[in-house]
Amino acid sequence: MEKGPDVAGSSANNSSDFVRKLYKMLEDPSYESIVRWGEGGESFVVLENEKFTKSILPKHFKHSNFASFVRQLNKYDFHKVRQNNEDNVPSQYGPNAWEFKHPEFQANKKDSLDNIRRKAPAPRKPAQTVEDPFPQQQLELIQSQLMATQQQLQHLSERYEDIAQGHIVLLQQVVNLQKFVKNRDGVMQRVLGFLHSVDSQRRNSRVEGQFSNGSGSSLGQGDPMSNHGTIDDHPASPLQQASDLLDEFSAENLPNKDLEHMTQVYNLRADYSSPPTDPGTVLPPPPDPNLSYPTGNDLDNNMVYPVGHTNGIDPVHSEHINNIPYSLPPNGMLPSAPMPEAVLEDTLILGRKKSLTEPIWGINKPTVLLVEDDKMCARIGARFLQQYECGVEIARDGLQAVNRMNSGTTTFNLILMDIIMPNLDGVSATVCIKEMCPNIPIIAMTSNIRADDIDMYFRYGMNDVLPKPFTKEGMLKSLQKHLPDFLKNQQFQAQAQIQHPGGFSTPTTTHPPPLGLSMQLSASQAKSIKDETSPGKSPATVTSWHSPSAMTGQSPVGNGQVGFMSQPMRDHPYTMTPPHPSQQSVFPPPNVPVGGPRGGSHGRVMSDLSGGAPDDHPEKRQRMYPPPNQAAGFQQ
Amino acid sequence: MPDRHDEEHSEEGSVGLADLGDSIDVGTFEQILEMDDDDDRDFSKSIVFGFFDQAEETFVKMDTALEKKDLKELSALGHFLKGSSATLGLNNVKDSCEKIQHYGQKKDEAGTVDEKDEDVCLSRIKETLVTVKDDVADAEKVLRKFYADS
Repeated sequence: MEKGPDVAGSSANNSSDFVRKLYKMLEDPSYESIVRWGEGGESFVVLENEKFTKSILPKHFKHSNFASFVRQLNKYDFHKVRQNNEDNVPSQYGPNAWEFKHPEFQANKKDSLDNIRRKAPAPRKPAQTVEDPFPQQQLELIQSQLMATQQQLQHLSERYEDIAQGHIVLLQQVVNLQKFVKNRDGVMQRVLGFLHSVDSQRRNSRVEGQFSNGSGSSLGQGDPMSNHGTIDDHPASPLQQASDLLDEFSAENLPNKDLEHMTQVYNLRADYSSPPTDPGTVLPPPPDPNLSYPTGNDLDNNMVYPVGHTNGIDPVHSEHINNIPYSLPPNGMLPSAPMPEAVLEDTLILGRKKSLTEPIWGINKPTVLLVEDDKMCARIGARFLQQYECGVEIARDGLQAVNRMNSGTTTFNLILMDIIMPNLDGVSATVCIKEMCPNIPIIAMTSNIRADDIDMYFRYGMNDVLPKPFTKEGMLKSLQKHLPDFLKNQQFQAQAQIQHPGGFSTPTTTHPPPLGLSMQLSASQAKSIKDETSPGKSPATVTSWHSPSAMTGQSPVGNGQVGFMSQPMRDHPYTMTPPHPSQQSVFPPPNVPVGGPRGGSHGRVMSDLSGGAPDDHPEKRQRMYPPPNQAAGFQQ
Repeated sequence: MPDRHDEEHSEEGSVGLADLGDSIDVGTFEQILEMDDDDDRDFSKSIVFGFFDQAEETFVKMDTALEKKDLKELSALGHFLKGSSATLGLNNVKDSCEKIQHYGQKKDEAGTVDEKDEDVCLSRIKETLVTVKDDVADAEKVLRKFYADS
């Protein structure tokens, strides 16, 4: 240890001044109480900071600044040995000791001092400047990614709301249709009952004349079932077949309360998303006032319109339109019996006025159903169409339109559909009509042409949108676009199309023969039946037939939604890889009241989109009836 | 056929369309006129006067709904009149009706911001209703003159 300086001098070329000074300092035993080698000689310890700074530093380093000393040490890559204060183990050198260490700086190893070099400062500086913008760039990158992700999430949640809304409407539709079917069923039961009574009269009159004429007819209008029970011998075989058919359908799939329940669940969270129907046009079943035209829905607030591809009219949707309408139930749930009142009010105005325009059609002229509650708009629209040599018929609301289509007396080639109308709105009517005639083009004619509105129209099967007030050009374009078969040079196809109207003629063949009689029921009778079809009557009467329609109806709806959603997502620019926690914070919680049959596919779509694991709580998503407070919980 | 003449030379502002003023969108209204037969204006006339009848009825309904504080009904009525006024090109009327529609939905006039306070919505509708009645009256004056002249 002695004579150190001499040796150090010989190696002065290599080792640094500072390190040599440091080493020399530590060789001085008189400093032992202030600064010395640490145990084992692999580090050195400054025991008394103050004395070291005041008395030793000036002697060896010509300054009395402990901080610069430390800085200097750091430059030479010395490191402070940390004391484990957290462990409450007092440093072996006392609480105020500073222990420094360098692997090459050891007592008795003077030669290795040469290896201690200043950390190269020159290359470090540029490195820093290079490094500096790099995180900056990264930060921006991450930020923009974050933004994109957020937009994505917003987009998705927006999409979800859309779908939730759509789901409500569809549920309403299904419930509606169920009721419709129930009514029909009631009508049929009555007719059958009546026929049975007539039939039994016929037979009994031969034997003993059990029934008088009067009682027979009154029974027909009153309670068909009791009458049914009295038939003990052989009723006419078509009648028996019809009854059997009816009973058969009523036996399977009894009340489908789930759907109604689902609609109710949705009602509970109506403030979160409301279906796109107008106060005046709310479908008959939901009495909830909240379920009205989109008033306070979050869509408006969350919308980031320009984001994504849903802005404006997305022709992609039309590809999926045909997936949406429910398939026809096997026995034809919408019989061709019209509601007489509605048909009577329809106005058939055909070619009242000569056309002022160039003829655009071939031999066959298209017939258009104009559905519009505003008489003025209807007149103007009809006039337009007449000038284009179209046959025009006007329906005053969605219900009339549906009935008009049901009646099948006129084959329409196109429907112009107002959206907001009393009794039944245009979107709902579209769903109904598309079910019967999936191929008829339906054009929304409305002043509500926000992107989400338009989105919705397409989703529910409308083929185009004609903004109100419509222009001659706009209307002509729509006509030409959607009635290509009628154009002058397309006559062959036009004829072909006429041979295949709507496509709803087949079901009638499977109807039991007596059905035709229901057409003779007056509207008031039909109405009274409607009112009576609450569960009170015979259960067979109420529930038969409606279940098959509900079942076949629902799953195609789900598929339609899936197709609709996955398509736009496929070509989306962003790839979504959010971690699951954040995904859940934006997506509604898994236990959303999604429909049972639909729930699975719905959940799957969500996770597919997000790139997350497909089995992200599928079991929870299928839960149908969460407590109301949970449902409310995911309002964002 | 004086009306044909007017129509074709409306740009020159002789009579007819150019006198309709700012409150009526000439392009839209022209479309209605184009639907007339060659020799008279019966069709458009009936449409236009039909509109004023309709507006009158709607205002009565709106007043009633206002008394009942029935925002939904007001919104629906606003929407209804918006459609027909837009068809005729009565832009001022249309805009006011749209506002009523939005107020009735408990939104601001553009339909973007929620307005929770129903009383605020009702008073806004009340104000707008005054405006829209004036607008319709103005339009009626202009159009009656137009049809009287032609």
